[in-house]
Amino acid sequence: MKIKITSNLFSLLLLCFIFNSCTEPYILETNTYEEALVVEATITNELKKQEITITKTSRFEDKETQIEKGADVFITDNTGTRYHFEEESGKYISTIEFQAIPGKEYRLNINTKDGRTIVSTTETLSAINPMQDVKAAVETKDSLRGVAIRVSSYDPTNTAKYYRFEYEETYKIIAPEWRLKKAITIDGVNGANPTLEVIANDPNTRICYSTKKNTEIILTSTNELNEDRVDFVPRFISDQNYIISHRYCILVKQYVENLPAYTYYKTLKKISGTESILSPLQPGFLNGNLKSVNNPNDKIMGYFDVASVSSKRIYFNYIDLFPKDPPPPYYTKCDEQALLFCFGPPPCYGDELVYYFANNLMTYSLHEGILYHIYPAPCGDCTTFSSNIKPPFWVD
Amino acid sequence: MRKILLVLFTALIHFSLLAQKTGDTYSFEFKNVDRLKAIETIEATTPYHFYFEKEWMDSDKSLISGSYKNVTITTLLESIFNNTSLNFYVTKNKIILTQNNVIHEKLATNYFGAIKTENSNKDSNDLTGKPVFYQQYDSINKSYTKNNNGVVFIGKETKTTDAKFCTITGIIINTTTGKPESNIVIKVRNKNISTISDNDGNYSLKLPTGTNIIETRSLSHKKVVKTLVVYNNGELNINIAENSNQLDEVFIKGKGSKAVESVVSGVISIDIEAMKNMPLILGERDILKVATTLPGVKTTGEGSAGFNVRGGKDDQNLFLLDNAVLYNPQHFLGFFSSINPYTAKKATIYKGSIPADLGGRLSSVFDITTKNGNPETITGEGAIGPITSNLSVSVPLEKNKSSLLFGGRATYSDWVLKSLKNDDLANSQASFYDGILKYNNALNKNNFLESTLYYSHDKFSLSSDSIYSYSNRLASIKWDHSFNSKNKAAVILTNSEYKFDIDFDTTAKNAFVSGYKLNETQLLLKFNYLYSDKHKFQYGLTSKLYNVYPGFLNPTNPNTTLKPIEIAQEKGLESALYVSDSYKINDKFSVDLGLRYSLYASLGETDQRVYAPNLPLNDATVIETKHYGNNQVATTYGTFEPRLAARYLLTDDLSIKAGYDKTSQYIHLLSSNVTQSPTDTWILSNLNIKPQTAQQASIGIFKNFDNNLYEVSLESYYKKSKNILDYKVGAQLQLNEHVETELLQGEGKAYGIEFLVKKQFGRLNGWLGYTYSRTFIKLDSQFSEEKVNNGNYFPANYDKPHDVSAILNYKFTKRYSLSSNFVYQTGRPITYPIGTYIYNNANYTLYSDRNAFRIPDYYRLDIGINIEGNHKIKKLAHSFWNISVYNVLGRANPYSIYFVTDGDGKVKAFKTSIFSIPVPSITYNFKF
Repeated sequence: MKIKITSNLFSLLLLCFIFNSCTEPYILETNTYEEALVVEATITNELKKQEITITKTSRFEDKETQIEKGADVFITDNTGTRYHFEEESGKYISTIEFQAIPGKEYRLNINTKDGRTIVSTTETLSAINPMQDVKAAVETKDSLRGVAIRVSSYDPTNTAKYYRFEYEETYKIIAPEWRLKKAITIDGVNGANPTLEVIANDPNTRICYSTKKNTEIILTSTNELNEDRVDFVPRFISDQNYIISHRYCILVKQYVENLPAYTYYKTLKKISGTESILSPLQPGFLNGNLKSVNNPNDKIMGYFDVASVSSKRIYFNYIDLFPKDPPPPYYTKCDEQALLFCFGPPPCYGDELVYYFANNLMTYSLHEGILYHIYPAPCGDCTTFSSNIKPPFWVD
Repeated sequence: MRKILLVLFTALIHFSLLAQKTGDTYSFEFKNVDRLKAIETIEATTPYHFYFEKEWMDSDKSLISGSYKNVTITTLLESIFNNTSLNFYVTKNKIILTQNNVIHEKLATNYFGAIKTENSNKDSNDLTGKPVFYQQYDSINKSYTKNNNGVVFIGKETKTTDAKFCTITGIIINTTTGKPESNIVIKVRNKNISTISDNDGNYSLKLPTGTNIIETRSLSHKKVVKTLVVYNNGELNINIAENSNQLDEVFIKGKGSKAVESVVSGVISIDIEAMKNMPLILGERDILKVATTLPGVKTTGEGSAGFNVRGGKDDQNLFLLDNAVLYNPQHFLGFFSSINPYTAKKATIYKGSIPADLGGRLSSVFDITTKNGNPETITGEGAIGPITSNLSVSVPLEKNKSSLLFGGRATYSDWVLKSLKNDDLANSQASFYDGILKYNNALNKNNFLESTLYYSHDKFSLSSDSIYSYSNRLASIKWDHSFNSKNKAAVILTNSEYKFDIDFDTTAKNAFVSGYKLNETQLLLKFNYLYSDKHKFQYGLTSKLYNVYPGFLNPTNPNTTLKPIEIAQEKGLESALYVSDSYKINDKFSVDLGLRYSLYASLGETDQRVYAPNLPLNDATVIETKHYGNNQVATTYGTFEPRLAARYLLTDDLSIKAGYDKTSQYIHLLSSNVTQSPTDTWILSNLNIKPQTAQQASIGIFKNFDNNLYEVSLESYYKKSKNILDYKVGAQLQLNEHVETELLQGEGKAYGIEFLVKKQFGRLNGWLGYTYSRTFIKLDSQFSEEKVNNGNYFPANYDKPHDVSAILNYKFTKRYSLSSNFVYQTGRPITYPIGTYIYNNANYTLYSDRNAFRIPDYYRLDIGINIEGNHKIKKLAHSFWNISVYNVLGRANPYSIYFVTDGDGKVKAFKTSIFSIPVPSITYNFKF
């Protein structure tokens, strides 16, 4: 008995000592918020209207990002040319089409409405080394089978070295449980005596196209290789991902970066990424190449990047890459439910059915008398999570 | 005891009889008259006649005042000659005055004082200063049960002794080692006379003729009290024993008047015995925890392993255990120190004025020495606490010549954890042990040998699948040799190894083992040359070879995608030459001048990158990689390190001191964590990592009050350092082959003011320290990737401006004492996330400038009670219980604040506290 008490005392001590090291939520001081400008400006050697976005940092609780409006934005080069940018739907777009020319020095200038002047360091166009090829192939990565989008390029002059990739993927979606008919409600949810009616379904809710951009920073470097030869997978899609179920296309953009820009992106990626197992990373504010002239201590996020770009779009069908495999599972689990359309205590689910159909939360499959078979809405209507507008570039 | 009572009884009777003889009473009124005048007045109005030497009166012309109504002549005279060296003898109408000596037939008034000392040691101080009737000495000496030294007569008693002051010289010898002991303070009780033994143990004291009680004072030795009757110049050698095996009252005692008298400032001496009175954490006595209660020494947080001394980084402290470097002085992430308090003898911490023979770290030296074993008999000591148990045993090998001391400590937390039902806890482990073995041999009068072996091991696993372990191993051997009375030498050879291993996620696919190892071997030659009383020289040289194995990572699961990593070995040789002179310019002004030149060579076999000049160090700016063959010198750095300290004594107990020192450091700790962790790695300077250097200037004022009862000091420093290691935003330090690309080397500045008041002894004793200090770092460069906070100075992680600590002990009785410890510190700086932003379609967190915010302030109160066992001399073991409560206020002091992004992309902050409730513990300590 005595021993038991002692051991309990020990465990109590140890509990608090080692494990119950008492973690509690800690109120972040809201006055820690600092409004700062975020400038996204990548000027390329592609002849087009160049775009710059200027936003503000937001509080943690804010959902929306505020756009810095009414700023005077222009790029100057060392020959004295000024490229003006005008505000247009939340972005600043150059008034004329232009492209970055090798050897010229560019500087970004921003005069904000509240009188701040922000300038960048002068930047020159990075080396030009277009992608040679973008291929899709079935590969296994980390014991996971899937499609690797593999980029290859080669710079015999060994000057490009630092690469950043962006992609925009577009894929076709076919709602698996689309039916020719659909159920609608009459007299609505709050109606006195709601009823259901089955009418012809909209054929435009069956096939959709989603477009997504990469969210992580994708970088590679050939610095430690003997030659400047890129053989890199900027995108890997698991064979269980629904986005490749039918037809998939990806636009890969390769930017050749100068070293400081590459370092900036690399650090940004590092501090936002998962922390090292052995030691946490040093947090802090990351300096880019933009400075406020009025107050050098102002934080200006972002990097004025002048980079050569090349892009390539490729398509593939699932059936071509995986001729023997069943398609991957759909966007969401499509389990059929059958509910009785009557009012009263269960098994009656009349109110629920009216609510589901009125708000397009479930999709109609068929009915046997008052027994309605339904699926989650995305299974029968892809517009619930995607768009039925075929992108202009899409090739079937 | 019965005998003493009998004496007391007879004395009382005797005294009362005497009093009756001189029963007539008189009334007198004295107002600011000298004693001669008083005597004349008494002679005029009473039948008494005085017989004395007039010069006695001349020597003490202090004025007396007093009003006496109907007092006996005895009472009157007692009052008048109180606080003088004069005694009186009343016989019929004659009053015979004597200096010092007392005429035989009468008992001195202080006989009571002497008897009283038997009951209470405290009052023994009252005994002296008054004339003592030397026939009493037998009984007086019985009151010093431990210090039973007979009366010593110095010189020959002559009737015509002219000298009022006589010079006593002698040597202080350690009874254990037979070695002369330096730096022993010899004080004369109740007289403002003291001296310190020199390096050969010689001392010289000027004592007034007559009775003097002298005592030795030293932190590490037993007090020796001797009663001297001084008639003339003479010689007295004093044997003192080490303080290793006593259980008397312990004072939180600084160096007494030494704090005022010593030349160096910024030095803390920790009395290991005094730690008994400190409240404990989980029943552990801890030297380093005591150090943090003194101004200038801080830790980043509760349970953090590193120390910050006067604005220095964690890696800028040199921990020496018997001259060998201890790389990680902490157990279990800093909750316990790895220094066994039962075997440690002394800890000296140099916050500034680092002696010229020590170097290699910028900020401080923690010089810890181990006790020698007891060469006479087997002794031991131990403690049983809730987390650890501790035992030390000392065994004589060759009586009075050589001995062996062993100390060991281990946890049983593993066993406790395993016995728990909770799976999480049962799979966890947290254990450590350490052991030390010390051998010493007094070969002969001129040769002494000491050797220490030490090993400590820690193993812990907080997430149940990963096991972390680290260990310190060190060995040192020291040979002291005296060539003659003026020249001495010491040869010291040490070896230290620090390593850690990580067995990560043993069951997962990405399981790996990883490790790190550092080994250093040092040879030290030290010489002392006593040139004269004014000049004492020390010189020597040291050389240290580092072998660093920066790390490997080996995946253990064959299906892993991890790649094995192995980073090439680093090698370096750090050498130094030094010479210093303790120069006593006059009685008031002394200077310690030290010159040290350190030279570091980065040695092969190594591949080192050469980066383009004037460009940031990164993969792209590499020009070439140079290969250096084995032991080929890749690069060298040399630093001239002057060390200066000066002291001016304004009065006997008031001094002003100033110091300047320069230090350099060639080995650096990589630690991006806020606190030092055992998995931080040390790296050596090389082509791309420059040595750190620092300069410190300090000034201090030291004052003792009330006969050294109170000790007050105010010190201030300003420190500038160069090439302090810091890290780029997002730096990845572990297992990085080209770690220089993640490093920044910046400037540091630190300043502070330290105030300390100590009450050295008495029932209530303790100290109160307050420090105001700031520490800043500047990381500036023309490249934005190498700039932090826009190149401005910013507060370092460990910048805590206000720091208060108070230690108070109160002794209720001999057996019960209470101790308390209060700490307050400003919260340390932290980098906060201050907002979010979208960039390239992704959400990012915006961080504030580095260290722009602070975590909440830290405060804590601990209380402990010591209960001693009975004080019978003959018993098997002395023992005491310690009951402590840590964090009595239950303050949830933040250990860390971290940020987690939840599913909605919201950033949430969490605060971790380690001891958020009061933690009680009970420890049983014993000695045999």
